[in-house]
Amino acid sequence: MIAREQRLPRWVRRAVIAVAALGLLYVILGPLTSLDPAQQAGLPLLTDKLWFRIATTVAMFVVMAAGWNIIGGLTGYASFGNIAFFGLGAYAVGVLVSNQRWPFVAALIAAPIIAGLFGLLMGVALLRLRGHYFAVATLGVGVAVGEVVNNVPSLGASTGLFLPIVRSDLLFFYLMLGAALLAVIVTWVILRSRFGYGLLAIRENEEAAAVIGVNTTFYKVAAFCLAAALTGLAGGIFAQWNSFVNQENVFPISANVQMILMAVIGGTGTVLGPVAGAVVLELIIQTLAGGGTNAVYSQIGLGLLLMGCVIFIPRGVIDFFGGRSRLSLGYLRQTLRETSA
Amino acid sequence: MSLLALREVSKRFGGVNALSGVSFAVEPGEILGIIGPNGAGKTTLLNCISGVARLDAGDISWKEQSIKDVAPYRRAHLGIGRTFQIVRPFPSMTVRENTAMGVLFGRPHSRLQPAAAMKAADEVLELVGLVEKREYPVLRLTVPDRKRLELARALAMRPQLLLLDEVMAGLNHVEVEQALSMVRRIRENGVTIVLIEHVMKVIIGVCSRAIVLNFGRTLAEGPPEEVLKDRRVIEAYLGERYAKDHESPPRPGEGHDGP
Repeated sequence: MIAREQRLPRWVRRAVIAVAALGLLYVILGPLTSLDPAQQAGLPLLTDKLWFRIATTVAMFVVMAAGWNIIGGLTGYASFGNIAFFGLGAYAVGVLVSNQRWPFVAALIAAPIIAGLFGLLMGVALLRLRGHYFAVATLGVGVAVGEVVNNVPSLGASTGLFLPIVRSDLLFFYLMLGAALLAVIVTWVILRSRFGYGLLAIRENEEAAAVIGVNTTFYKVAAFCLAAALTGLAGGIFAQWNSFVNQENVFPISANVQMILMAVIGGTGTVLGPVAGAVVLELIIQTLAGGGTNAVYSQIGLGLLLMGCVIFIPRGVIDFFGGRSRLSLGYLRQTLRETSA
Repeated sequence: MSLLALREVSKRFGGVNALSGVSFAVEPGEILGIIGPNGAGKTTLLNCISGVARLDAGDISWKEQSIKDVAPYRRAHLGIGRTFQIVRPFPSMTVRENTAMGVLFGRPHSRLQPAAAMKAADEVLELVGLVEKREYPVLRLTVPDRKRLELARALAMRPQLLLLDEVMAGLNHVEVEQALSMVRRIRENGVTIVLIEHVMKVIIGVCSRAIVLNFGRTLAEGPPEEVLKDRRVIEAYLGERYAKDHESPPRPGEGHDGP
């Protein structure tokens, strides 16, 4: 899975890299063109305001999916409680900025630390469980943290916390994009390090990993802390962007499912899988989203999508890039045989 | 000074006494064979030594220091390597990556970065005869090759003590001969070996000493040829009646064709 040779012809690889570079350039520079000064100077309007919201949300989910991938994809521990880290990060910024009058930047540094420390506690307690037990226990914690926060008066209880409004779509877009890049880089570095090999060994056979010398407890907890810190960072940025924090909007269980879905659809255990999954799925959700029956259909659609992906493309859509596999009937038959074993 | 010493080691699973009061020592440089009928507690013994299973009673010491409460990964760092009877490779990795894992995580002083570990893995793969297949995904390997890989990964850890759990089961005569000379070569490199084996040819061929387990107890201990002639051992393997009927019985077990 790592360091597998590429079989695509060189020009295809070059073209893909060129397109990706241009896309990244547009994502980074495009937003600048929607500024008022840019418009007045007569530059073409490449980007509108709605695009910001969607792009920022996509970047936010890239962080969450990549964070989940570290514990769920690389280490093989499917956490259903990562939303707790997002919520804690958001509440950290909320409390520090609105109650303690900290500057946003300082609060944003504290958010991943607080989420990471909670990840440490949760990891030490829960990472001794495996499979379904771990999934259910983390889900329980994810729900419980939201409920607790919702009932603490100093955290605004059910009213929530209001932060001073910062009007700059551009700032939050770049912050989220930066966090997304950070998450991708962290994953890339992990996969090339001794630490990453240790995590993969734990995923593939924990007992064998232990007897060859992997400190499994430390590795698992460290992976969980990293995932927690990244997710907490996204939560912290979200809190200021949204300038309002309450249980409903920073502890949504649906987002918990979404980040897992994104990592699975994109390809768990890979660097770019969660990115691909987050982009594709969030765009689908944004397109389908809306009130009434549309929302219901989109939920049903997502459920079916997840089932289909788990059964037919267990390695995610990322498997079709890099020349490893091609989408064909033979491929589907092969994966069906693998997954139904 | 013994490398490893077990004192009155006991392990229960529910109402079953898998090991009851097993004591023995492993001296540096020897090859110790452990034999016994199915269910005698051989694998449980290795699990206790490698730390995968915890003891219910007794003590295990490594160079005179108790390692009873030492975690499995720390025992690996001390220099205890093992293979599993039912092989446990890391399925998403190639043969080379699997082997490199032993280099990456084994003895601390020989630890390397991933790229260098891959090169070091090649040397080990050369020794076990898997170097041509180093880029194969594990799932493409045959059963004997998977056993070789299991051995390669343990060897890559640079252990001082190597615990082998039936690495030669299922191999044909030629392969067993190759495996035997490999085990001798490993010992010549200064590695002490404890091996579990059903193939008597292996026990007689390489072991300097053998221990017979039956129902979790030590039944006999000594030079392999003598131990295998022991009446109690024959009874344990082939039944009391067989021992009575045959005054001078053939060697028990699968490898009755001798060394």
